[in-house]
Amino acid sequence: MRTRSLAELMPLVAPVHILILSVIVLPSIFVIWLSVTESTYGQAPTWVGLANYARVLADPAFHGALWNTVVIVVFAVHIELAVGLLVALLFASGLLLRRLLLVAVLAPYAVSEVIAVVAWRYLFDPDAGPVTLALQAIGLPILDWSFEPVHAMILIGLLTIWLHLPFTFIILYAARLAIPSDLYEAARIDGATPLQAFRRVTLPLLGPAIVVALLFRYIFAFRIFSEVWLLTGGGPARSTEVVAVYLYQEAFSYNAFGTAAATAWIMVVASLLLAAGYVFLLRRQVTSNA
Amino acid sequence: MRSGRILVVAGKAVAVAALLTWSLVPIAFVVMSSVKPGQEIFAVPTVYAFEPTLEHYAELWRRWGQFFDGLIDSAIITAGATALAIIASTCAGYVYSRNSSRFLNASVMFLIVVRLIPPIVVTLPLFPLVNIMGLNDTHIVLMVLYATFFVSLGTVLMRTFIDQIPRELDEAAQIDGAGRLTILRRVIVPLAAPGILAVAVFVVVFAWNEFLFAFVFTATKAKTAPLVISEMIGSIDGVDWGILFAASTTQLAPILIFVVLMNRYLVAGLTAGATKG
Repeated sequence: MRTRSLAELMPLVAPVHILILSVIVLPSIFVIWLSVTESTYGQAPTWVGLANYARVLADPAFHGALWNTVVIVVFAVHIELAVGLLVALLFASGLLLRRLLLVAVLAPYAVSEVIAVVAWRYLFDPDAGPVTLALQAIGLPILDWSFEPVHAMILIGLLTIWLHLPFTFIILYAARLAIPSDLYEAARIDGATPLQAFRRVTLPLLGPAIVVALLFRYIFAFRIFSEVWLLTGGGPARSTEVVAVYLYQEAFSYNAFGTAAATAWIMVVASLLLAAGYVFLLRRQVTSNA
Repeated sequence: MRSGRILVVAGKAVAVAALLTWSLVPIAFVVMSSVKPGQEIFAVPTVYAFEPTLEHYAELWRRWGQFFDGLIDSAIITAGATALAIIASTCAGYVYSRNSSRFLNASVMFLIVVRLIPPIVVTLPLFPLVNIMGLNDTHIVLMVLYATFFVSLGTVLMRTFIDQIPRELDEAAQIDGAGRLTILRRVIVPLAAPGILAVAVFVVVFAWNEFLFAFVFTATKAKTAPLVISEMIGSIDGVDWGILFAASTTQLAPILIFVVLMNRYLVAGLTAGATKG
């Protein structure tokens, strides 16, 4: 009976799994094979063991790309989380026209990375961008992002926060709305200040949502490609390259599929480690709550 | 006490103003600059009062016919990817919602783990494979890629939404002699419509806006609108910003309106997607 019904269900589950196996899983496994061979176009691949990994891990350009990626993950994602949390609390505190404001905050979700780059390149144009002019008018330093690597990284960070704040905000806001208001009532009756209520009620109950938002954003920020590629192309002089741009360059600019594949698996393993850390944290949270 | 309240209201007003500036100013500048006379786009100081003009749109139409081909390609690919993702996710979500076995539970876990693989990884083997199969620069490649990268989230979302439909309805239909497919079509799909719309929002936004896969897998015939716009940015010495803004506004307007209209489903989808999968 069990096997018969499973066979009966198969046709309904099959499309999803065929797509995932043929487009994601099998190609990813094939990338392992690519990563232990040396191959370029029109050449038979030869076995090289872990040489590609060794070469990538010893490449100063990879170190730079990895460092930039980690900087974006650490700075952009945490700033985004802090801002998303503040906005969620602002919304939860009661606002006029809340639905309308919510839609306004969601708007960047609809914007393609390409269009976002157009907008931000224009706003921060070092000579005549409206934001540059506004910064100069109030005597603040401007972002000279086409020459200064640090400034370029700041612009990439701002751009990626702008694109993804809607996601982080919605996750935190939904979790905040799920906290029963009696808890705040009880805290108030017990004489808690708003700050105490935040630390003792809001923060602990938002914990799981914060972990989820962070994990998703770590994993997605780690793959960042389009923003960097379109804004700086990794320049000036490879100084803003990230891991995905490094991979793309190896594969499609230098035809070095072996090292590109090794880079790809380093990315997969890093993502798996991030996720494993997350599952570990969740487990600990569950057991400490029980 | 009274002045304290005023302070709170004022603080909130400032915060809301800052938030609106942050979210909307980049979009507003793109749209505004698309109808600004060319010589005023980079005027110092920034010009806010100007006579709107459609010259950039006319120029875009004259000089970048391939942008409009790109819009058509984007529309075809978005429609195909969305249909594929919705059909596959709804069927699988239905099975996962109504049945449970060790095999099925393991395969849900598998769907979640697959989301950890960065999309750029699969371009390496798929690029030569797609060439060998003669599918390079076709709509079908992007449709399948876009749908595949959302079917795992889509399935988990659909399971969550279908879980909320009482099983008694399936059983009643079954007693009336309906088969599994009929139940899916007549009972589940109408009641799970919000879930289907949530999945649709994700796939439509992704497929309409995506850059990396389009960049790797298309050249001329299936080039999507974002890719054409990126080429406009790329012609670095000759960027005509007016045309660039006109193209950006044209690409952005439909998807922005779509997200505004569907914001409820987007919020529901993001919330369910993050907590369940």
